[in-house]
Amino acid sequence: MRLWVVIASLFTEVSSAQAPAVDTSGREIRPPAKVERVYAAGPPASVLVFAIAPDKLTGWTRAMRPNEAQFFAERYAQLPELGRLTGRGNTANVEVVLKAKTDLIVDVGSTGGTLASLASQVQEQTKIPYALFDGRIEATPAALRSLGRLMGNEAEAEKLAVWYENELRDIKQRVARVSSHPLVYYGRGTSGLQTGGKGSINIEVLEILGARNAAAEARAGLVTVSFEQVILWDPEVILTTDPNYWASVWSDQRWRSVKAVAAKRVYLSPHLPFGWFDFPPGANRLLGVWWAGKLLYPQAFDVDLRAKVAEFHRLFYHREPSAAQLDAMLGEPGVLPK
Amino acid sequence: MNSRALTYVLAAAALLGLTALAFAVGRYPVSLGEIVSLLAAKLTGSTHTLPANVETVVMQVRGPRVLAALVVGAALAAAGTAYQGMFRNPLVSPDILGVSTGAALGAVLGIFLSLNVLMIQLLAFAGGLAAVGLVYWIGSRLRGHDPLLALVLTGVVIGTLLGSVIALLKYLADPYNQLPAITYWLLGSLASISPRDLSVAAPLALLGLAPMLLLRWRMNLLALPDDEARALGVDTRKLRLVVIAAATLMTAAAVAVSGVIGWIGLLVPHAARMLVGPDFGRLLPLAMLLGAAFLLAVDTLCRTIATIEVPPGVLTALIGTPFFLWLFALSRRSW
Amino acid sequence: MLKVESLAFGFPGRTIGRDVSFSLGDGEVMCVLGPNGGGKTTLFRTVLGLLAKHSGSIALEGQSIETLSRSEIAKLIGYVPQGHSGYFAYTVRDFVLMGRTAHLGIFSSPSKKDFDVADRALASLGMAQLAERPITEVSGGERQLALVARALAQEPRLLVLDEPTASLDFGNQVRVLERIAALARTGISILFSSHDPDHAFLCAQRALLLAEGRALEIGAPREVIRADTLQRLYGVSVQVLPLAGGGHTCLPAIGH
Repeated sequence: MRLWVVIASLFTEVSSAQAPAVDTSGREIRPPAKVERVYAAGPPASVLVFAIAPDKLTGWTRAMRPNEAQFFAERYAQLPELGRLTGRGNTANVEVVLKAKTDLIVDVGSTGGTLASLASQVQEQTKIPYALFDGRIEATPAALRSLGRLMGNEAEAEKLAVWYENELRDIKQRVARVSSHPLVYYGRGTSGLQTGGKGSINIEVLEILGARNAAAEARAGLVTVSFEQVILWDPEVILTTDPNYWASVWSDQRWRSVKAVAAKRVYLSPHLPFGWFDFPPGANRLLGVWWAGKLLYPQAFDVDLRAKVAEFHRLFYHREPSAAQLDAMLGEPGVLPK
Repeated sequence: MNSRALTYVLAAAALLGLTALAFAVGRYPVSLGEIVSLLAAKLTGSTHTLPANVETVVMQVRGPRVLAALVVGAALAAAGTAYQGMFRNPLVSPDILGVSTGAALGAVLGIFLSLNVLMIQLLAFAGGLAAVGLVYWIGSRLRGHDPLLALVLTGVVIGTLLGSVIALLKYLADPYNQLPAITYWLLGSLASISPRDLSVAAPLALLGLAPMLLLRWRMNLLALPDDEARALGVDTRKLRLVVIAAATLMTAAAVAVSGVIGWIGLLVPHAARMLVGPDFGRLLPLAMLLGAAFLLAVDTLCRTIATIEVPPGVLTALIGTPFFLWLFALSRRSW
Repeated sequence: MLKVESLAFGFPGRTIGRDVSFSLGDGEVMCVLGPNGGGKTTLFRTVLGLLAKHSGSIALEGQSIETLSRSEIAKLIGYVPQGHSGYFAYTVRDFVLMGRTAHLGIFSSPSKKDFDVADRALASLGMAQLAERPITEVSGGERQLALVARALAQEPRLLVLDEPTASLDFGNQVRVLERIAALARTGISILFSSHDPDHAFLCAQRALLLAEGRALEIGAPREVIRADTLQRLYGVSVQVLPLAGGGHTCLPAIGH
């Protein structure tokens, strides 16, 4: 199977102009023959583009802070800040994108109506192909392959896609072995009262793990709930991305009576260099799946988290994290049970 | 006079009934009997046999929230009433001098800097006070203009300026994490009221209410042109300053813990005025009663009609506006 | 009661009038006559302390106005301004009650005594039956009288009325002038302005002719209101005719 893919990729490289491809939004993309400079329109796109061919990335949407930059080789960490060009609020100047001699614009996230039409609009305006890919975790291998084809890096993309598929398969098998599913609540924001309803992209990690989302009865998307509601649900585990909330939950009388707090099963997701759990909503969340899986189903997920993190960083961020960096990441209060 | 006294009695009775109802309903099922025995135990200092969750829900979650709704509703209504009289304009809301926008800016800044809840509330409170302080300082320096007009125009200008800074912060904020938090804060909510919030906001609101209640008869004279009020013996500048300070203190305290909940300060004074007329002596207490009841009713709906929380600002507008139009159609007098 | 000496008055940075001196005893009525823009209202506002004087002195009951607080002044002078665009629907009684402010403590509400004073003021002007009506629903003349009642509720020693008959119909004009004369008889000093010189003849002991901020003449109406002074004041030809019974009246000389 792999041999054919390699041969096929040789053939496509030989042709002078690329055949049109179709991105996940269903739009036809006609990239130039050689794609050397790729503009990633949002952080999830940055992750994918950087993973496949880091030298082709023209810049980050936001300049790297020192605590993020430490995970990348210096020449990559110092790439310029170009701003976002996605539907969720643009900060990029289209002229800057043009000036940077972009061959391809890539965005990863939702691929529905408005965003697809916005992408087409930018494409019309700049004459630069704008490819939109599905950001869901399970759609990552397909996104990697399509993006790899567009960028002319099928081999690298294939390697990553296959690895990702294997990881997902492993995860699925472990999930199948789980017998007891604790009730999980994802508390967002400083008050911990925002959460994701059933099908919401914010709790995709939980849904892959087949976890019981306490807020499943709420509508999809980000919602605010009341204290009484959370106390009524009485989750056994609470996951959060907000350090302020994590710090306050132990001394706040109102959270005391919740099972998760009493059992000290409230965990804070790591967030460097790209968040593990909720945002940015991209391929980076694979680590979140391993992490949450280990917290929720310790027996089925008896994996070496350190090794997993190191491997993901090696493949996607092209840099092996040092022992000290791993210690710092996993040793931060709230990340793992004491 | 008798029908007026009846209005008060009805309003107070409605408020008490509504409060009892609010205590009794909620997502977490607690029976009225359980509430009564819990409160009785607390008052007498004896122990009770109710599960810990019930005590948490009633004393830590629902109780503070119900009381906060009363305080915030009364404060916003009182501030709106005072300003509508002072500015002689029925379209005035408590935010005319920028207190809500200033508080919003403080809170948005706090969220943008990823600060904790206490800091966000402090920044909101300080922001509200600072905004009005700035408006008053600039407005009172504009000589040669009608003092009220100077205040209103300055308030509008500064409010717009602060609003644009908020817009800038929203633009720069992280769209996945901070922006939703900002949006939710701006929509206003009593969902995360803690006992601590109540214990700080309530005294501050009362501190603002006290001078207003004491001066309520004298405030009637602010409805007269400045010359006339002064000729009748009132130091209008000082009185206005006290009213503005009191209203700002109340509103900043309310907004710091509940976010921006609109319409109460605009609609409730009207409804109250339609019932008892413009004399502050009668108007202010009734407006407070109605404001407290209105927000309590709205908030109780917000936290019970669905699994998720509905922003109170949406409901106050949806319920308040048709009700107000109906009241307006019924009444025959002017303001 | 009121003694004004060499008063210069106007707005900050702009002096409108100078060298105005007059005094008013108890129960005396003085009418200020002058063209529009001549400074009548500004003079009144200065006498009331609503505008800072530029130079000269104003003394109320022997005390300089600078030494008096707003509420002390309000206990001495009642102000009846020109017209009133009522916005809020206070009842006439509540409106008149506002006149009691100077007599109330800062945190006080009116007591029964204050209600009595207000009701008496209304009754003395024949307005008792209007007490419960919203001020926004009474006629212009009634509103003007309500303003007078409010000033009376202050229990003042001096009443200052700025063009009290402006925009009133003839009948109401006469009624207001009658009240002025009646009030003077109770010992209250009255200072009022008018656009009609006849009013001075009808109820004033003294008249002050104010043109361009300067007092042309001050004295008894029959002495100072003459064809030549009226010509200087208004720029029109007017005859001053004596009436059988002792009074005078003005008759403009409109050509036929």
